Amino acid sequence: MKKIANLALALGVLSVGSLMADASIKAYKAENLSTITLDAKAWQSAKEQSIIFYPQTTIEMNDIDVVKLNAENKAKKVSIKSLSDGENIAFLLKWQDGTKSVQESDSSTSYGDGFAVQFPITLDKLPYIGMGSEGRGVVVHLQKATGKTYEPNGNQDVFHQVNASNQNVYEADAKKYKDEVAKIGNTDYQRVYLAEGFRSMTQIRDSSENAMMEMKYDKGFWSGMIVRKLKSENLDLSLGHFPIAFALWDGEKKNRDGMKLLSSWVEVKVEGKGGKSLIALEELSGDAKNGEKVMLENCAACHQYKEVKTAPNFMAPNLSNIGGYSNSSYLLESIVDPSAVVVPGYNTTAHPNFPWYSVDDKGIRSSTMPSFSHLDEKSLTDLVAYLKTLKVEVQK
Amino acid sequence: MSQRQLAMVMDLNKCIGCQTCTVACKTQWTNRNGREYMYWNNVETYPGMGYPKKWMESGGGFDAAGDLQPGVVPNIQSDYGVPWDYNFEGLAKGEQLKPHVNPTWGPNWDEDEGAGNFPSDNYFFYIPRICNHCTNPGCLSACPRDAIFKRDQDGVVLVDLDRCQGYRYCIAGCPYKKIYFNPKISKSEKCILCFPRIEQGLPPACAQQCVGRIRFVGFLDDEEGQVYKLVKKYKVALPLRSDYGTVPNVYYVPPTEAPPKFDAHGKIIEGSTRVPMEELEKLFGKEVHEAAKTLKSEMKKRKETGISELMDMLIAYSHDDMFRLDNQYYANFAKSKGLTPPKAIDERYISGKFTPKMKFFAAVKS
Repeated sequence: MKKIANLALALGVLSVGSLMADASIKAYKAENLSTITLDAKAWQSAKEQSIIFYPQTTIEMNDIDVVKLNAENKAKKVSIKSLSDGENIAFLLKWQDGTKSVQESDSSTSYGDGFAVQFPITLDKLPYIGMGSEGRGVVVHLQKATGKTYEPNGNQDVFHQVNASNQNVYEADAKKYKDEVAKIGNTDYQRVYLAEGFRSMTQIRDSSENAMMEMKYDKGFWSGMIVRKLKSENLDLSLGHFPIAFALWDGEKKNRDGMKLLSSWVEVKVEGKGGKSLIALEELSGDAKNGEKVMLENCAACHQYKEVKTAPNFMAPNLSNIGGYSNSSYLLESIVDPSAVVVPGYNTTAHPNFPWYSVDDKGIRSSTMPSFSHLDEKSLTDLVAYLKTLKVEVQK
Repeated sequence: MSQRQLAMVMDLNKCIGCQTCTVACKTQWTNRNGREYMYWNNVETYPGMGYPKKWMESGGGFDAAGDLQPGVVPNIQSDYGVPWDYNFEGLAKGEQLKPHVNPTWGPNWDEDEGAGNFPSDNYFFYIPRICNHCTNPGCLSACPRDAIFKRDQDGVVLVDLDRCQGYRYCIAGCPYKKIYFNPKISKSEKCILCFPRIEQGLPPACAQQCVGRIRFVGFLDDEEGQVYKLVKKYKVALPLRSDYGTVPNVYYVPPTEAPPKFDAHGKIIEGSTRVPMEELEKLFGKEVHEAAKTLKSEMKKRKETGISELMDMLIAYSHDDMFRLDNQYYANFAKSKGLTPPKAIDERYISGKFTPKMKFFAAVKS
């Protein structure tokens, strides 16, 4: 009952001072997208729209080099085009990257540039931006720039797993053998995942969530394309309005996994399909200055953010960029009902003194954070308004 | 923590650095498909840089508060070493034999260099290293995908290759740098304690092939087993760098029986020992002093009376006492999960807490 009351409160507050969503993407009408390519003329009919991507700082990765290389990360403006033929939806991302990084197949320390697109399975409540949450799953499409990668079991072909120098072949035969091995590798590292929280991410190996993806590097810019169906086994985006989120990785800075830039949930409006704007994506207006005070009084004991570092390390999510990749409805929900979305955070054994959640006998997770639903409406809206200002500046 | 823990003891007084274990492991598991550069088992010289280079200074593990420490991911070219090959085909055409890359580092690159001055007090010893199958694994704690798990039946730490996405945080998190990145399949791989062998009654390849018979394998709670006796009863087998906080399950009998030093005239300094206790303390903790005392007194006892259970164990008379793989336990575990247990293909090493010794072998031994 308490949970329901809290949510009602949350929605009540939303109706007081709600605004339009921060940013949205219009999917322009196009003909048959099933054969579109990255360079296709059809893209000229879609207008460029820009979305800001912010560095993930909720948790700190345990790789010394990564922490050092990404300490000064700024936000990045990414231009996005979208097309839809009513059945398929296509996105074309273009972002600046001074170095083309490809994960090599003979190195343990090279990482590939890449991008991912995240679709929600439920449309009424936003899944956690970091790969969904329990009961609010997401489908994630990923492409990374890699050299040849192979299946762990070599598709049962043991013969071609053997090192060329261990085969009884020489010169022309050895070359032929190596060519055959190379043929088994895939160059495009494309994956699609189903996830309910970032520890649960599982690769979909059947064709239920197929997509066409393509990446190309040209004169300091990467372009990445994805085309997929609006309706599939797990997703139904056919109503014409749905949230989407993006992420990108910079291999030069050893980015992978959570070390990335990501957008908040952004609304996609498909041209020619009616549909209503999504309440979950509406933003709040409030007095950020007062919010800063509320934050110091209520949150700073556990959360670190920006220069405020009174809380112990690893105790709770770091909120330094929370305003960059979170939406108001999620922030408000997390304040009044912290267990609605439980952020899995670090492995429970990595920082055992500060578990972010507890699990009961039935396997239900409860957040360690207490509810702050006792705050009055003004304090809550002001706090959300302040949280929305917590983000790094955009790279010029 | 797992229900039971399989552990290994290595007697460093007897390791001769022959690398037979390394080769046994390599030919069994790591000579193909992107694992060529990996040594799930390696033998390194101490003092030395180790393998991968400077692994002891590469971070990972836990601090006193239990927080996972950040670490680095070593590089194949500079820290592990590229496995090189020669242009044998070119020999017929009169070419000079040379490696296909310019090797700058490799496992045991600084073999036998050691420390001290020859001949008065130079010293070194070998440390064979496999994955420690820790009770609190750093790799497992670092994995953002929950792709690493510790087997409930025997505590073997494994990577679920289906869940692994090749992020390599496990490598940074492991203070022993005993988990490796396979760049060909873009996933992490590591020593599996030869679990497919163990389940069929065979000890890990490195242990079975060891010519010095320095390796003991068994469950830590099997009080009849030699592993239990060395670790818990006599406390002469100690974990390596337990200060990393991962609670490792490979134990070492420290190399306390080193030759004496020489004085300026080349004469033996009576009562001296070449391996400094401070160095051993760095590796094995303060407990090393007590272990050294026990080893010395048992050695003396054996010399004087001819009786010492500890010395008899360390002499390593018979493999079937050194390896107790408790086959019946594995079989029961498989059955409890509704699986058909694999049949033991070698019945010499299958005794254990839940597996009575077979009459046939008892008869043969007496």
